[in-house]
Amino acid sequence: MGGGGGVPEQGGGGKRKKKALDAVINVVPAIDLLSCCITFLLYTAVWTQISRLQVQQLGTGAPEPTEAQPPQKALAVTLAVGERGMALSVGDAAYEIPSLGRGGDGAVTQDLKGLSTRLRAVKSEYPDQASIIVSAEDTVPYGDLVHVIDACLAAGLVQVSVTGV
Amino acid sequence: MAIIQPGKRPAKRFEKSRILGGKIGHGRKATNAELNVVPMVDMMTMLVIFLLQQFSATGEVLYMQKDIRLPDARHGQMIEQAPVVAISSDQVVVAGQKLADVADLDRDAGYLNIPALEERLREEKKRWDFIHQSDPGTKWDGIVNIQADQKVPFRIVKRVMYSCGVAGYFNLNFAALDIGSGAAAASAEK
Repeated sequence: MGGGGGVPEQGGGGKRKKKALDAVINVVPAIDLLSCCITFLLYTAVWTQISRLQVQQLGTGAPEPTEAQPPQKALAVTLAVGERGMALSVGDAAYEIPSLGRGGDGAVTQDLKGLSTRLRAVKSEYPDQASIIVSAEDTVPYGDLVHVIDACLAAGLVQVSVTGV
Repeated sequence: MAIIQPGKRPAKRFEKSRILGGKIGHGRKATNAELNVVPMVDMMTMLVIFLLQQFSATGEVLYMQKDIRLPDARHGQMIEQAPVVAISSDQVVVAGQKLADVADLDRDAGYLNIPALEERLREEKKRWDFIHQSDPGTKWDGIVNIQADQKVPFRIVKRVMYSCGVAGYFNLNFAALDIGSGAAAASAEK
């Protein structure tokens, strides 16, 4: 029966109080610890999430392969990026992906959606293909180049080599 | 005139008198006030959880600069510790040291390399070789991070890439703002 809390016991020659059930927890050390944690985490927090798109440079500096690799069925997939749009060549086949014109600031807008569709079709046709060569004209901005490489990675062509025209 | 509660009104000198049991005088408030700290602990716990989610073990490899606006990408990987070549619309910088002017690079477009950048990267490579001379198991990976403004033309990036390649840095990482793998997964499903 829990109803007798705080009621003095009768008889026995004295009145005894029961211990209170509420315990007081000292939260001050917890606050100290949390304050230290917050200070440390605020100091070390990285607010901008920057990622990397790994590419190879075609021709310059790359080391020679040391071990003899088995001959593979070489399919050359090349994507030329320029002001007029993009040209994708897969072996002997060639596809044109024209640009969407110029934006308000005069910059060329590339058809990235069309490129993604075309690259996915190439990947579904050649599932083992993982390499692509992106050759960009001198005037192509870095932002467009990154978007094109991102589209290649999205399609599963993860070995991207970049070169100039 | 002020309204006074009826009752005993002894003289002021008796107000604090213990003989009268101290009941006559006005009771003072206790000096120890209890503060409820539980909401504060709750808030701090939430803050710690949020900040732990933001925590990155690799630290900040690339620092955002005012004059460099990075393009966004969905399928990038986690950034690695490597030398960073920052290309803004005005200059090429490595570790806070200005190595070339973009205007000068545009002017002498006949060359492909940037000598100062090459020299700086060779120094970095020498330092890496010195650090790892007693560790023959570690192979040179030749990674360099290129952080360029999204409007920088490829002719500048190409020269930086060439200089990196000549100096032995053949694995290039183009830096981009990560706009989330969740969005990438959603777009991949479409």
